[in-house]
Amino acid sequence: MGNWLVTACVSLLLVAGLAGAAPAQTLNVYTAWPESLSQPIFRAYTAKTGVPINFIRLSTGELVARATAEKNNPRADVIWGAPGDGFAAAKEAGIIEPYRPPTWDRIPAELKDREAYFTAVAKNTLVFMSNAKLLKEKALKPPTSWNDLLDPAYKGQIQTADARTSGTALTRILSIYYAFGKDEDKAFDYQKKLHQNVQVYTKSGGGCTIPAALGQALVCIAHMPDAMEAKKKGYDMVVTFPKEGVAAVIEAVALVKGAKNRDLATKFIDWTFSKDMQDLLDKNQVYMLPALPGATIEPGVQSLMKEARLLPVDLDWVGKNRKRLVERWVNEVIKE
Amino acid sequence: MRRDPVIAPAVVLIWGAVALFVLYPLGRLLLLTFWNGGPSLDAVRGLLGDWTHRAALVNSLLLAALVGIAGTVLGFAFALLAVRANLPRWSGRALDAVVLLPLISPPFTAAIALIFALGPRGLISYHVFGLTRVNIYGLWGTLLSETLTYFPIAYLTLKAVLANVDANLEDSAFSLGARRWRVFRTVTLPLTTPGVANAFLLVSAASLADFATPLILGGTRFPVLPTQAFLQITGLYDMRGGAALCFLLLVPALAVFAGQRWFTERRGGSFVTVTGKVGAATRVKSLSPAAVLGLAVVCGLVVALVLVCYLLIFAASIVRGLGADNSLSLAHYGHVFSGGLKAVRDTLLIAVICMPVGGLFAVVLGFLVSRTEFPGRRALEFAAMMNYALPGTIVGIAYLVAFNDPPLALTGTAFILVVCYVFRYSLAGTRATSAVLAQIDPSIEEASASLGARRDVTFRRVVLPLIRPALLAGMTVLFIRAMTAISATIFLVSLDWSLVTVRILEGITNLELGQASAFSMLVILLVYLAVAVASLAMRRLNAGSLGQAGTLLGG
Repeated sequence: MGNWLVTACVSLLLVAGLAGAAPAQTLNVYTAWPESLSQPIFRAYTAKTGVPINFIRLSTGELVARATAEKNNPRADVIWGAPGDGFAAAKEAGIIEPYRPPTWDRIPAELKDREAYFTAVAKNTLVFMSNAKLLKEKALKPPTSWNDLLDPAYKGQIQTADARTSGTALTRILSIYYAFGKDEDKAFDYQKKLHQNVQVYTKSGGGCTIPAALGQALVCIAHMPDAMEAKKKGYDMVVTFPKEGVAAVIEAVALVKGAKNRDLATKFIDWTFSKDMQDLLDKNQVYMLPALPGATIEPGVQSLMKEARLLPVDLDWVGKNRKRLVERWVNEVIKE
Repeated sequence: MRRDPVIAPAVVLIWGAVALFVLYPLGRLLLLTFWNGGPSLDAVRGLLGDWTHRAALVNSLLLAALVGIAGTVLGFAFALLAVRANLPRWSGRALDAVVLLPLISPPFTAAIALIFALGPRGLISYHVFGLTRVNIYGLWGTLLSETLTYFPIAYLTLKAVLANVDANLEDSAFSLGARRWRVFRTVTLPLTTPGVANAFLLVSAASLADFATPLILGGTRFPVLPTQAFLQITGLYDMRGGAALCFLLLVPALAVFAGQRWFTERRGGSFVTVTGKVGAATRVKSLSPAAVLGLAVVCGLVVALVLVCYLLIFAASIVRGLGADNSLSLAHYGHVFSGGLKAVRDTLLIAVICMPVGGLFAVVLGFLVSRTEFPGRRALEFAAMMNYALPGTIVGIAYLVAFNDPPLALTGTAFILVVCYVFRYSLAGTRATSAVLAQIDPSIEEASASLGARRDVTFRRVVLPLIRPALLAGMTVLFIRAMTAISATIFLVSLDWSLVTVRILEGITNLELGQASAFSMLVILLVYLAVAVASLAMRRLNAGSLGQAGTLLGG
């Protein structure tokens, strides 16, 4: 039996030997963007500078939880591409530090943290995507107002995200709040009514895209890139905006506090806010609006965006009220 | 038993490993949760006042009980059909293969497939039966999905138990003039009661810990604890609250495990079945043709549902875009073998390393707790199963917190993934070892001892050959788990080490259904291969009822 134990120890040691740290001069990135959107941008940076980028894709919540647990010995250098609410939490947890890239002053105030803890790489919007076949079957026009969704014809036909897991859901809550003239009680009254038509709240923001694409639900309220991805895949989806408007939320970037490769990280962030990179958002069909004024926007996206009434969001207010809004949603909207 | 020079170092070594990789991370997490400049309960305060968490606690218990009952009943039906219906050999094998499917598939796959089959526009619900108002989200959908996923545990457990009930006993009852139903009620059922209780608890425990199914099918109307804990951490950025919820879940989870142990030890102990005496073989006749037909119909329907679900997954993997462009394409598999190849290689490597390390750990632990006496034996057994009883999310976070800083900076390495699997999924091997040892009369070892053999010689020459099937079973389970687990490892995958399951989750959340399905098919295929190899090896070892590598997946 002694021999067996020795074997066990040796194998454990062997495994330990396999473990190695990432080679130096590699930039480590956590991102919440799907690989299809983030990887081409990272590749472009590597092609330009020769600095390899190692990245993990995590949901926003997992990303913040992970970075928080790693606080004393950070593994990532940059958090790149995640919704603003995650960064508000990251700032609170003390895992990111302020950094101002050279073009910081040109970024509009509503797209950055006042103390420069995080800055938006792009502006993201909410859309209604409807299954074209089901619309026709039920002889419905695609919804163009928040109130359209209250029609009994949509009962059990709407999927959208759960406020406790998804930044998309927060965008929805904010959109309704701003669309109803910042009258919070009215906004929550509306959401209670909307709840009657909701089939299920999905855990991830884009979680309703596949069900809507496959006809398991009629309408999915999600972010623009999800809808465009579905259309690109060939699903017959109709994309519309509520005429009352939607909140323009940010997809941000931040420097990790105590980053091991701080120099590489700041250079990468500088590049993120250069016109070179901001033009890539359009070129790669990310379907978000670049944060830097003057970056290229494709005519197709421009015309689509013209239909959208983007309501500016007060980041400070959101930072202070996010938790309360989510709790109110849990206690008033979904409680039965 | 006698004191032995070999036992002490083994105990110290195993205790050390358990302390370092189970107790230490949990301790760190407890500290994080309940220590805020001093002992503090503010992480818990407010949690219990929240209606969703109260509902989650009740729902978790309710769901575990219902899944336990439904799974056990279904498992018993399948086991009766397999063992007592005199089915042709091939159909028994086919049954096993299909039944194993949900148990070995990556998480989320079964739940997603069920939506495709039974959702509002599902293949079965809408396209076959024309139903339009089906609601799959909530208690019923979760119950159905978890029952389909976990009843195989009951099936495999009960099949082994039923196979061990000597048909001669039933025969005696028949020759005394009893009718079939009476024989079933008064002979077969009492003999299988410990097994039924065991199966119920195993299925319930699996349901208690499952977070993937309710995550997809529970919706807001049916919150359960493991999912709530996950939401608290990743949605509300409240790690302390989430950890507190997990510790709340620990109470029922441990109760179930204690109950399960009690049944296998106290009741199972009175049914020593491997004694060296052999009964005459008899043809089983305890089921009437009508009963066989009834069972066959029920089981056939379940098998059909499972097959439909997985055929849908397979279909999604070989068409360009399910529902949008149904033309055949191998593009998704192309992606798996190009961009996804690293994840496949990493996962396989880690799984293969886990097998000997974990198998050995399991067997030694199982031997120590069931055949030797030392202080803290119970405590060791209890500590070793903690990581299994806790939801994966919390184990992942605990590992991250405990092993991120020097001198134990293990995060970002393959080592942490291996360790996580070994200490989370060795329980099956340990249980198998204990089960096998419980069936082996200690007199066999005593005979060796009285012939003058030292303890380590007895272990090597007598015990080890007898528990080889348990070692093999433990290693197979570890391989399967390493290929399919996600809840803990989502926090432990790193920039250098990626896993297939994480890619599957990504695919599901990123609209890459085809890729997710292709990865799932590959995992299922690899696991089937492993199980086939293990079963073959088992047969060569004459392992009898343990021949089913899957028998212990639940435990």
